[in-house]
Amino acid sequence: MMNVIQPKYKPQPPKVTIFDRLPKSMVDFLSEAGAISRFAGKFFKQAFRAPFESKELFRQSFEIGYRSLSLVAITSFIIGLVLTLQSRPTLVEFGAEAWLPSMVGISIIREIGPVVIALICAGKIGSGIGAELGSMKVTEQIDAMEVSGTNPFKYIVVTRILSTTLTIPILIIIGDAVALYGSYLAINIRGSVSLTFFFKQVFDSLAFSDIIPAFVKSFFFGFAIGLIGCYKGYNSNKGTEGVGRSANSSVVIASLLVFLIDLVAVQITEFFGFL
Amino acid sequence: MEQAKQISNKTSEGYGEPVIEVSGLYKSFGNNHVLTDYNLTVKRGESVAVLGKSGCGKSVLIKCIIGLLPYDAGSVKVFNKEISSLTQHELDELRARIGFVFQSSALYDSMTVRENLEFALRRHGKHKSKDEVLSLVKETLNDVGLANAIDLMPSELSGGMRKRIGLARSLILHPEIMLYDEPTTGLDPITSGEIINLMLNVQKKYNTSAIIISHDMHCARLTANRLSVIVNGVNYKQGTFEEVKNFNDPQTHPFFE
Repeated sequence: MMNVIQPKYKPQPPKVTIFDRLPKSMVDFLSEAGAISRFAGKFFKQAFRAPFESKELFRQSFEIGYRSLSLVAITSFIIGLVLTLQSRPTLVEFGAEAWLPSMVGISIIREIGPVVIALICAGKIGSGIGAELGSMKVTEQIDAMEVSGTNPFKYIVVTRILSTTLTIPILIIIGDAVALYGSYLAINIRGSVSLTFFFKQVFDSLAFSDIIPAFVKSFFFGFAIGLIGCYKGYNSNKGTEGVGRSANSSVVIASLLVFLIDLVAVQITEFFGFL
Repeated sequence: MEQAKQISNKTSEGYGEPVIEVSGLYKSFGNNHVLTDYNLTVKRGESVAVLGKSGCGKSVLIKCIIGLLPYDAGSVKVFNKEISSLTQHELDELRARIGFVFQSSALYDSMTVRENLEFALRRHGKHKSKDEVLSLVKETLNDVGLANAIDLMPSELSGGMRKRIGLARSLILHPEIMLYDEPTTGLDPITSGEIINLMLNVQKKYNTSAIIISHDMHCARLTANRLSVIVNGVNYKQGTFEEVKNFNDPQTHPFFE
């Protein structure tokens, strides 16, 4: 029992690879991009395998969707109102005031609605997920879940990414509708137009080629926001400081990705002749 | 504390078959070689306190034992099953027989105390009726003296209460092995004494084997019948409390000062 053991291990010098010759910032960027891709790959691998955490999926959808509704509605309403008030004088100058509903409708449905609402969601939902998962990680709740016979990736990550992918497009549709209503009210400040006539003008000027690409890209926005929030939170370290960093970088990277996805979506839409 | 004296005086020979066998365990994080050649055997009903400096790999050891961290080399056998060769399903089945009390208690913030306790029970596939689950939750909370905290949220609990609920969450599955990660750290002496009493009661009631990671020598002396000191990633010294205390070595002596 009273034996004293000395360590046998002798450390080996680290191997030099090609990555050691690249600038550190580039290596960091590439390794981060690689890690996010692997994280996304793991999501697709686990999302379609049983058991499906449907109860947690509904709970998260409620938390993410319903609790963001008021913020999305208020900001969308203001965007619709302001956009109309700002555009009106220019259109009046050219005698094209009658085009106001069409112009605002196309702007909101095609671009402003999806992008602005996605950015709001990146701020609210992305930071929330990043902070929540980061906090769970540093307080060992994720380990506790694993010890309790639960796959934490499936229970925490898959449900949240699916929730954002499914609920953010719904939030965007609602936000678009509220923004158009804001626009209708703004037109009625100076002029007079009925709600039916306003929406008839909006929908007359819209084609499926305006609505479908905007709707499709909103799923990608939702996926990117959930993915980055979960990735940053799930890989959080360095205690409470790390939680703050996770929340912050979730917002920054998710917002950047929203613009990148938008850019790619525009190119694809143009390629297929929708523009 | 008579119960504690009985535990600490009992020698390793008086216990059953080995339930945890760690041999040649090696684990590193980059260039930080935490465990280099660690060996430890814990028998049924036996409690071993693992001591060592901060960052020496004590928590890493128990996380390797429960399969939370993969190890680089060596062997970790629990109930004679090699952890690294188990499938996820087999690992989950094994984990149902092991209780893990986290340093931070690790209670799920979004769930009530009741839901925290139910979570482990439901997740390990122990299908019971709603009434059976509730009565088991109440019984376990009663064991840790917190029956009236059933509907509280973790944010409403004190540090000592959180530790007790963390212990209750592990106990609800009636584990055969308990792994305690610094169970008394950050607690006042009175609460710390209460947690030690709870650990002794658990050992008596369920005849559990235990590994206790601790810096608290009072806790180690009362709850463990054997100590293991980690130095430079190896089991540098092991023996009863008195044996390790009387071993005149600069690596082990500071723990008893």
